[in-house]
Amino acid sequence: MNELRDLLGDLVADVDSVFLFSPNASFFEEFDEVDEEIVVVGPENALDADPFVELPIDFTDLEGRLRFGIEGALEQGIVDEGDEVLCVTQMFDGAENTLVRVQTNDFSPSGVYDMFVNSRADASVVRDVFEVAIELGKKGQKGKPVGALFVVGDAGKVMNKSRPLSYNPFEKSHVHVGDPIVNVMLKEFSRLDGAFVISDAGKIVSAYRYLEPSAEGVDIPKGLGARHMAAGAVTRDTMATAIVLSESDGLVRAFKGGELVLEIDPEEY
Amino acid sequence: MQLGFDWATIIRQVFSPQGTFVFSLVVLGAGIILGYLVWRSSRRFMRELGVPEAVEGTPFERTARGLGTSTVGIVSNLAALFIYITTVTAVLNIAQLTDPELYWARFTSFLPDLFIALFAVIIGLIAGDKAKLVVSERLRSVKMPEATVLPELVKYSIFYLAVLIALGQLGVETLALLILLAAYAFGLVFVCGLALKDILQAGAAGIYLLLTEPYSIGDEIVIGDQSGIVQEVDILVTRIESDGEEYIIPNKRVFNAGIVRMRD
Repeated sequence: MNELRDLLGDLVADVDSVFLFSPNASFFEEFDEVDEEIVVVGPENALDADPFVELPIDFTDLEGRLRFGIEGALEQGIVDEGDEVLCVTQMFDGAENTLVRVQTNDFSPSGVYDMFVNSRADASVVRDVFEVAIELGKKGQKGKPVGALFVVGDAGKVMNKSRPLSYNPFEKSHVHVGDPIVNVMLKEFSRLDGAFVISDAGKIVSAYRYLEPSAEGVDIPKGLGARHMAAGAVTRDTMATAIVLSESDGLVRAFKGGELVLEIDPEEY
Repeated sequence: MQLGFDWATIIRQVFSPQGTFVFSLVVLGAGIILGYLVWRSSRRFMRELGVPEAVEGTPFERTARGLGTSTVGIVSNLAALFIYITTVTAVLNIAQLTDPELYWARFTSFLPDLFIALFAVIIGLIAGDKAKLVVSERLRSVKMPEATVLPELVKYSIFYLAVLIALGQLGVETLALLILLAAYAFGLVFVCGLALKDILQAGAAGIYLLLTEPYSIGDEIVIGDQSGIVQEVDILVTRIESDGEEYIIPNKRVFNAGIVRMRD
């Protein structure tokens, strides 16, 4: 028993701050008298905790969640590079059951936090598009897997770097992602070829767009198709964020600045 | 009522005039004591029935608490008041201090007015509180101390209206208060119109722009001195961008300056 206690003691010794992931109120209060800095990470700040890092989507995989929390705290200046951080979170279901000790420069930043918070488009718009892509990836179109490409933000420039493949079904319409009807609509339109263009404020500007950025020097993992290449390239040429649902492997990937920043499996949400 | 007249006449016939007067005083005293007893027993009765717990949290109870009383208090007071009024009318009847015909005629015509006035006040109190809740709910995201004044303002405006209606029902001269209300409403409209003039104009222009879309996102346009690619059109402003500079132009200006679309 003592060995186990020692192991736990070693794990929590000399950490600079403690990250609580979506704690409930009573659990949070137990940490009132802890000397280390307490950082709360969660989808919403129900406890009025400070400092707080907002999770834009409900990461089910542990690494994504920790990564986002720590990168967010780094960006906000809550922790410094090289700090030892203890993360208290839950895996599978139930109460807090996982302790992870990380040094903040142990991993190279992926830019996930940056993509949500510092992109041109509102964070809520990026999140809504993610949700649509995840939903689409889960259900597909009539049971068959579909692919889709959403380009979010900097719409004016994206429109100038692309051309229509056919008439734009969203012309003179005022549809915003996040409207309840949109999921169904996008699902129907996803059988069209080409990209969806979405403005900073979430207005769906166009469907059926053929993106023609220069793909020179775009570095994305080998094996991804033309859709991903187009997504990577358009984000390198503009300030946009691209969210791609792959038709072949069903994963949702996000690109920013020409690089892959996030990869999630819709089946896990 | 006919019965009441009968026993009042009988009493007057049985007693001497002095005796009638003393008797009416006795009735008055008994009425006061009875009223007090009813007030007390109805309070206790409702407490034992658990009425306070039952009405806990309803708007009316909250309003009553706001006035420093409770639903139980109001109901028991009304019951006692009813006894007092009955006693007083009975005493007046017996002593025949007033002309009974005229008195009853007036009283019966006055009673509905009184009822409506009371009703108006109670509804006003509840509506005022509700309106305050709704407004403060809407303004929750605006974290400014000034914003908390607005819900209070709405609440008291509604209270004022309710009191005005009640007083009007009771036949009190409300002309002065009405003028005050008119001045208040006029001031509100005037200030709002003045303050929101630009916003309203921009909004009207924005509705036209959104409906007809003379330009859409991605077009290159020139508005006055600014030129660039349209990034966003919403109801109040148009955002255009060129070379990393984003111009946020009120839609009113778009209308005044006109739009040049660059077609190449």
